[in-house]
Amino acid sequence: MLQAGTVAPLFELKDHLGRTVKLSDQKGKRVVLWFYPKADTPG
Amino acid sequence: MLGISFDTQAENKAFAEKFGYDFPLLCDTERTVGIAYKAADHPKDKYAKRYTYVIGADGKIEQAIDTKDPAGQAAELLKQL
Repeated sequence: MLQAGTVAPLFELKDHLGRTVKLSDQKGKRVVLWFYPKADTPG
Repeated sequence: MLGISFDTQAENKAFAEKFGYDFPLLCDTERTVGIAYKAADHPKDKYAKRYTYVIGADGKIEQAIDTKDPAGQAAELLKQL
């Protein structure tokens, strides 16, 4: 996985409501990016 | 907080509604972001790895958490907030 200190790769994706979310829009805030394997499974 | 998986918008919408999540669930159906963050090795990977990143206000990764223990993962993250 990417290591601490690495510049987080920028991205732009649609969310579950069809809204566009860009990492660059979160600038100045801490972001938790949570990868999960499959919707509606534990974790 | 941003959730991200390789699921479709409809699958993630159902997931968010079921658990009452009020944060965005991103639909990385092409796996491009998953690959950039090494949560996938290949565009045809079925599932994302259980990786969580804390990205600082400076745009750098502060913490990279790899866990197969969802409860531990949640507890760890709650400490950050």
